[in-house]
Amino acid sequence: MVSGRGLEAATAFITGAFGAAVVVSSLDNGIGWSAAGVESGTFPFIVGLVILAGSMFNLVQGWLHARAIVLGPSELKRVGMLFVPAAVFVGVIPLIGIYPASGIYVFGALAWQKRGSLLLAAAAAIGAALALYLIFELTFQISLPRGALGTLFGF
Amino acid sequence: MENLEALMHGFGIALSGNHIFLMVIGVLLGILVGVLPGLGAPNGVSLLLPLTFGMQPVSAIILLSSMYWGALFGGSVTSILFNIPGEPSSVATTFDGYPMARDGRPTTALATAFGSAAFGALAGVVLITLCASWVAQVALAFGPPEYFAVYFLAFASFVGMGGTPPIKTLVSLAIGFALAAVGIDTVSGSVRLTMGIDEMVKGVSFVVAVMGLFGIGELLIAVEEEFHVKAISSKVEWREVFRTLAGLPRYGWALLRSAAIGCWMGITPGGPTAASFMSYGIAKRLSPRHANFGKGEPEGIVAPEAADHAAGTSALLPMLSLGIPGSATAAVMMGGLMIWGLNPGPMLFVEQKDFVWGLIASMYLGNVVAVVLVLLTVPIFAALMRVPFFIIAPVIVIICTVGAYSVSNSYLDVVLMMGFGVLGYLFKKLHYPLAPLVLAIVIGDKAEDAFRQSMLMSRGSLGIFFAKPLVTTLILLGAALLLMPVIWRTIGRMMPRSQVKP
Repeated sequence: MVSGRGLEAATAFITGAFGAAVVVSSLDNGIGWSAAGVESGTFPFIVGLVILAGSMFNLVQGWLHARAIVLGPSELKRVGMLFVPAAVFVGVIPLIGIYPASGIYVFGALAWQKRGSLLLAAAAAIGAALALYLIFELTFQISLPRGALGTLFGF
Repeated sequence: MENLEALMHGFGIALSGNHIFLMVIGVLLGILVGVLPGLGAPNGVSLLLPLTFGMQPVSAIILLSSMYWGALFGGSVTSILFNIPGEPSSVATTFDGYPMARDGRPTTALATAFGSAAFGALAGVVLITLCASWVAQVALAFGPPEYFAVYFLAFASFVGMGGTPPIKTLVSLAIGFALAAVGIDTVSGSVRLTMGIDEMVKGVSFVVAVMGLFGIGELLIAVEEEFHVKAISSKVEWREVFRTLAGLPRYGWALLRSAAIGCWMGITPGGPTAASFMSYGIAKRLSPRHANFGKGEPEGIVAPEAADHAAGTSALLPMLSLGIPGSATAAVMMGGLMIWGLNPGPMLFVEQKDFVWGLIASMYLGNVVAVVLVLLTVPIFAALMRVPFFIIAPVIVIICTVGAYSVSNSYLDVVLMMGFGVLGYLFKKLHYPLAPLVLAIVIGDKAEDAFRQSMLMSRGSLGIFFAKPLVTTLILLGAALLLMPVIWRTIGRMMPRSQVKP
């Protein structure tokens, strides 16, 4: 279970950390006024400070006013069941390339639900990979990542 | 009169077989992304973007803008028939649209929605026809300080009128600005904010952000809320359609008011979502039948739909004449304009007359095409909603991945997109607005440049923003908008509680 407070705080920490990173990084470019005008770090520096200050405000506000529970166990499970396979799909692209990855992803999603036969799932998987190839690679000539596996086979 | 002549010339360009074909394709694809949860107009337009690089700019913009109209209409279809808003801006349509459809009048609900939407869109296009070139003419005299003031006003209106918690809006905006600054600085040529990753020199593309924030993020929200598709008969009875459309003038006042709210929110970037909610709220407060709102009241469909489409359409006015997009989708289109080598802003009206007026004329035609097509295809797209979510979800993830990758053939973009997906989910969940972030990525550099050029002109003195009446007015107006939330809260505290919450 995730509480509203926890979620608000986590988000505020993420935005705050980003703001802090922007502030620190922009110092390298110089802030303030030089002979060539406003230095290139100035604008990001101010923006970073705004993010940092705003995140702190949101952290406090979120702590004081958040709803008790925003994500129950069943919701969390559903979100996980979408996100984890999607993240794995993206994660394996550099290894096996986008075509096998999409095929396995679609096959896995269909097989997991246990509705319809495995044969149908396999057909859909091959169909998905083929459709990607036909639409992007052939029609619009956008080459998609083939991964280490593709390089191995010289594809 | 000069405008009318230019418009006629525009119709000459838009009314070719090729362009009508593009409109039909665009509208159909638009309805598709509008209907599918997880894909919306900003995603759809970004996905089509790489496919338009070989086209004439005017053909490309007709395709993309038609997709936008289609998505606006498609979002209403699912709102009414399934109580699932396909687009954030059609959430308010579910309040009365779904109850009416559930009570056995789906055709009436759909026709009311499409009729009001068409009226709203028409109001937006007429406004663009009459005012866009005038605004552009005024803007031709703008220098960097004026430009910065207009940008400031645009961003301030998000904070003041976006309807989301103001500090969250501010954080969202500022993150967009920071992301826009990543990569090579256009003024000095130095490399900024790469966080030690060499590949980040190319910057963060708005397409990657849109795919993650609106695509993956929306998908996670949709799966979490586990929608139950309770299908209502989606058969369209044509006689009822015409009867409903003929009866719409009864809501003339509501239509006009909603269109006006929509136009205002579209031009000052409040966006269609805020516009539809605001219009619904006002209609509910003013209507003599306000007890009936939420139970299938026609005015409860008229108000959000007219405002939604008026805002969506008029969001293109500042994009064309000032180079400031009024909504997330308009921001994506503006990104496209820049990729096609056009410079959005007042010079467009001088140098690219064919493009501008061709687009404006196509907006009239595109909306007519959209109304007809959406009515014809309601049963088909309604059937699509019965495809189980576990099949649609992986397809959308794959589409977003390919979309993000194809921007610059970079795997890093795909990883970034997943990050944006998580951020989009958290932001949606906690009522941070997403549109300001995308807008800031697209025009962040321009706003910064305007600021730095102004500083060069004044040798580092902020006084330049108070040197001329126009700049001063814009800056003060922006400051007032920024302070709006504080003012509202003060008023709210002074009034007794019973009067604040009607």
